Amino acid sequence: MNYGDNNYSTNSYGGGGGAGGGGFVNNYSGSQGGGASQQTPGSVSRTRGTSTLRPVTIKQILEAVQPHPETEFRIDDLELAHITFVAQIRNISVQATNITYIVEDGTGIMEVKRWIDTDSIADDSSSSKLAANQYIRVIGTLKPIGGKRHVGAHQIHAITDFNEVQYHLLEAAAIHLHFTRGPPEQFAPAGSTEATPYGQPANIKGRDTAMGGMGGVQGGAGGANCPPNASMMARRVFDAIRSLPQNNDGIHTNIISQKSGMAMPEVLRGVDELLTLGVAYTTTDDSHIAVMDF
Amino acid sequence: MSEQAPRINAPLLEQFQNRVVRVVGKVLELRGDTATIDSHGSITIFLDRDSQLIVGRATEIVGKVQPDLTIKVMSAVDFGTNIDFNVYDSLVEVNHLYKEIFYDG
Repeated sequence: MNYGDNNYSTNSYGGGGGAGGGGFVNNYSGSQGGGASQQTPGSVSRTRGTSTLRPVTIKQILEAVQPHPETEFRIDDLELAHITFVAQIRNISVQATNITYIVEDGTGIMEVKRWIDTDSIADDSSSSKLAANQYIRVIGTLKPIGGKRHVGAHQIHAITDFNEVQYHLLEAAAIHLHFTRGPPEQFAPAGSTEATPYGQPANIKGRDTAMGGMGGVQGGAGGANCPPNASMMARRVFDAIRSLPQNNDGIHTNIISQKSGMAMPEVLRGVDELLTLGVAYTTTDDSHIAVMDF
Repeated sequence: MSEQAPRINAPLLEQFQNRVVRVVGKVLELRGDTATIDSHGSITIFLDRDSQLIVGRATEIVGKVQPDLTIKVMSAVDFGTNIDFNVYDSLVEVNHLYKEIFYDG
């Protein structure tokens, strides 16, 4: 399950926007030099969420929140870039510039627009074969226009193996649970240092912020874990603190922000949550946070 | 067409009386405008004129659960012959366990 990875790639140089220029070239050289670690230099706010493809239900699309006009939509407090879903066509209307499909997946109804590309005739014929009641997979982006949402489709294709309908809904549920309750590995039996279901040793610290990965559990004695009900934000703060050398003074929130690549308001919300959960405490002042090592 | 049609199977019919639901099942028998499908238990369904079911194949129906736990079909789609019904049963379970992303109420 790779969907989350890009989203959480963080700037391991510690700087804000100043660390790097364009993403692709630096990213490439970074992975050449840095071995296994996946680094995405550049502005955190620009790289986060821009290259993800998330499987969703139409209900999730309808309930996606847009904190401010002109900003990205969010599901489970996570920015959306591209989305994909499987649904049944209920109506097709061909217009001069686009084909509008009304689709429904049992969780809600959505309008999907496919712009007609006059240059590619082959494309047109493939989508004109679609008929009402047919199941399709849509890949696109969520667009708000005049308060009404629709999905601008990059690609639409007919479902031929109907197991894909069930598969998609289960995948959407798995991703939703991943982001709201944390990776599945944490629900493995405690203290297990044996292989996880994914065949990786459980004692690899997979959620290490420098790696940008999300999975994994800290196995073995002395490993501290976030409570299962902690949000993703709290988890990332927790991991950022854990990844730094511990001392009695705790870690300053600015350092947490740099280390985790999170904006300060998000860090503070994560810190608040950790304080409430009783897994972290403030030290010399309110800006220095230490985690309980239990 | 109702906006939401939760996915259910035979054991959940009673809980969804008078609601529009989706069911994936295997067509067991056809008798004129009624049919029997198996979805973790058998369900009697009343077909609309357009539904074309084929015995032995999987189908997905959208319809309303009647007080006698039969389903009045609004639309049906042929789902072929290779559907893994165990996966469907798991999906039904997940649907109701984590209904926040599937349906209201």
